[in-house]
Amino acid sequence: MHIPDGFLPPQVCLTGYALTGGLTWYSLNQIKKDPDIQANIPKASLLTAAFFVASLVSIPVPPTSVHLIFNGLMGAVLGYYAFPAILIGLFFQAVMFNHGGMSTLGVNAIIIGAPAIAGYHLFRQREHLQGKRQILTKALSFAAGAGALLISASMFAVLLITCISPDMDVHAERTAILLSLVGYSIQAVVEGLFSVMLISFLEQVKPELLKG
Amino acid sequence: MKLVLDRYAYLDSPVHRWQQSYKLIGLLSLIFAFAFVQNIWLLPIMVVITSILFTLSRIPVSFLIKRLRYPSWFILAVVFFLPFISGENIILQLGSLTLKEEGCWQALLISVRFFCILTVSLVMFGTAPFLSSIKAMRSLGLPSVIVDMSLLAYRYLEELSETLTTMQRAMKLRGFQPKGFTHRNLKVFSQLTGSILIRSYDRSLRIYQAMILRGYGSQTKIKKRQLKSTLVNSDRFSLIATSIAVITGICIMILELVLPSF
Repeated sequence: MHIPDGFLPPQVCLTGYALTGGLTWYSLNQIKKDPDIQANIPKASLLTAAFFVASLVSIPVPPTSVHLIFNGLMGAVLGYYAFPAILIGLFFQAVMFNHGGMSTLGVNAIIIGAPAIAGYHLFRQREHLQGKRQILTKALSFAAGAGALLISASMFAVLLITCISPDMDVHAERTAILLSLVGYSIQAVVEGLFSVMLISFLEQVKPELLKG
Repeated sequence: MKLVLDRYAYLDSPVHRWQQSYKLIGLLSLIFAFAFVQNIWLLPIMVVITSILFTLSRIPVSFLIKRLRYPSWFILAVVFFLPFISGENIILQLGSLTLKEEGCWQALLISVRFFCILTVSLVMFGTAPFLSSIKAMRSLGLPSVIVDMSLLAYRYLEELSETLTTMQRAMKLRGFQPKGFTHRNLKVFSQLTGSILIRSYDRSLRIYQAMILRGYGSQTKIKKRQLKSTLVNSDRFSLIATSIAVITGICIMILELVLPSF
């Protein structure tokens, strides 16, 4: 779900950078409101590295295997720290593995980072909504994990297919987008289930990780 | 997983001697100029500029090829499909498949742009230690929260990756064979990820205590004086190199606007 260099016109790349800049500024403002910012920066940094490393694990989903993106999960666990964390993670991936690109860093950050913030707000509703805590947590974890991935996948598919070539037939584009979304829906379900299991595990073993 | 990007950061070349903050500005403007190119006539110019820059950096070609291997699969897939689905002028008919002219040119444009931008990125980050790049970004105004987070994440990335490898090995030794997509397999993977998160969280608490003992947080604002001093003590060579890179980028953009379309 990382767009490589050379695929997007410069206007899209610049818009991506502008939007990322804006959302980074907003996230940093929210982070600065944190009374315990000094302690939370090392926590967020180590969790960034942990999520980065965890996304390298390949989960078998026949006939192939997938690498999970964890953006919804990062939003649920890190809150507003998730956006800078995702930006840093993408930068490392672009520089170390050439997964994604330098010119498309802004676009990729919006595709993966913006749904993470949405995932955070969705997960936070468990404190405001009425209902049995356990069921609410599971439902919202699934929604955050799967929803964030679906939004990312839709943005990725639409952007890549519409921008890749000005001469492409509209019907071909639409078919390509629908086909890729079908594939990504499966990954979204896997991410949703994974998020439910992971958050249940964290609630049992280290609930203070989820309160940050 | 080792960060091999700055393996050649300790060579000596004109590009290595270019100060990292100036290099970032110069080469980033070049990358954006390359991303701007839509005209086929500019592709040879892009390739020549990239080759000159790469030759000056003295990074071995084998390293570049190794770095290109992984992302090339994605490019290959797109480049293979584009001539069949994009465009109107048919140049070749293979049964029900038609090879279109515009698609072929688009495929060439995307692949050359990708190759050139990737090579310039490699020169940008491969000719200085990674920490210098992060320090350069800090001097250019990157917010301190992001600088701190990236420095810490970079420092512990390799350690966490080794921890993950150890845990996966332990799982295998206990007979875990993830052959299908089952509830149990997914649960085991989620617990593996959860364990990594908890370990890194616990580690971060000890790291924070070590950091405050060493004075972390005592200087909350970057003094503006620091930014000015880097400009005053600038290396003249770095300034000239950056100016050349920026002017080259601007020329490419002007040519893109002025030249007749292909």
